[in-house]
Amino acid sequence: MSNDLEANIQAAIANPQNLGEMADADAVGTVGSADCGDMLRMWVKFKEEDGRRVIDKATFQTFGCQTAIAVASMATDLIRGKTAEEALAMSGQDLSAPLGPLPPMKIHCAQLVEGALKDALTPGGKPSATAAPAAPTLFDQLNAPKTVKITLKS
Amino acid sequence: MTATLSPEMTMQELLQALPGAQRALFRLYHIGGCASCGFRPEETVAEVCARNDGLDPAEALTAVETACAEDAKMLIEPKEAAAALADGEARVLDIRTREEFDAVRIPEAQHFTQELLQTIMGEWPKDDLLVLVDHQGARGLDAAAYFAGHGFTNVRSLRGGIDAWSLEVDPALPRYTVE
Repeated sequence: MSNDLEANIQAAIANPQNLGEMADADAVGTVGSADCGDMLRMWVKFKEEDGRRVIDKATFQTFGCQTAIAVASMATDLIRGKTAEEALAMSGQDLSAPLGPLPPMKIHCAQLVEGALKDALTPGGKPSATAAPAAPTLFDQLNAPKTVKITLKS
Repeated sequence: MTATLSPEMTMQELLQALPGAQRALFRLYHIGGCASCGFRPEETVAEVCARNDGLDPAEALTAVETACAEDAKMLIEPKEAAAALADGEARVLDIRTREEFDAVRIPEAQHFTQELLQTIMGEWPKDDLLVLVDHQGARGLDAAAYFAGHGFTNVRSLRGGIDAWSLEVDPALPRYTVE
């Protein structure tokens, strides 16, 4: 990654915007699975403005890569004031534009955000990007198996 | 690169040949750390390399092989970790279940949660010693590699987990089994 991109990502991570659940959201979209730990979820709240139904606020929660956190932080700001149709027209590249061009190996992080947004804004629709590998990931190892009967040794 | 490794082999075959390959891939190339950068077992090494910045598969395999040989450097001995902790030079992150953590814990340890992860990524210094603790050392290296792949330069896995800590550092800490 370029130094500029890395710096932009670090700056976004250090002060993520619109992080957390939204209790009164009008729409929720999810990519990935909370069970396996890797998940990006977006909440969207609409308001009426000049006869249009526009996005008033969007928040997110993710346990993906730092780049995904940074893009989601940017995206929740970018879509504010847009209609659902306008927001749906934004690609992962649009949503990550404030960070600068992403290298090919990081594009999937922006697609993850795009997928969650599409899942939230497309009634009955499918996320556009759901990279769902069957192989266990390193992140899975951070999530201890749900057990547990513990027997202390004497 | 040894003769047993080739760009045409599947990722499953690679992981069978080099159990530490996934850790190395993430540390080196940010591949396989989470679902958004993961791979399927049936994908070939060449296919995974092609969609990850056009990596040269032969070079990647050689680098992974070398990195796997250095896995041991990510381990920290219990007594070494205890000394660092006593000197205030380490953070301890416990990745076991809440039930295990509540039953037996290193007093200074913090229990890993999804919420804490966001704090760690955003706020914890990347060059501080970060010691990961599991039960018996089976998951710690993978977890350490996850943090290393996110820029943590001094992350280590407690060799033998909290079980070894009980044996070698604090016998008052009960050992346990899980079902």
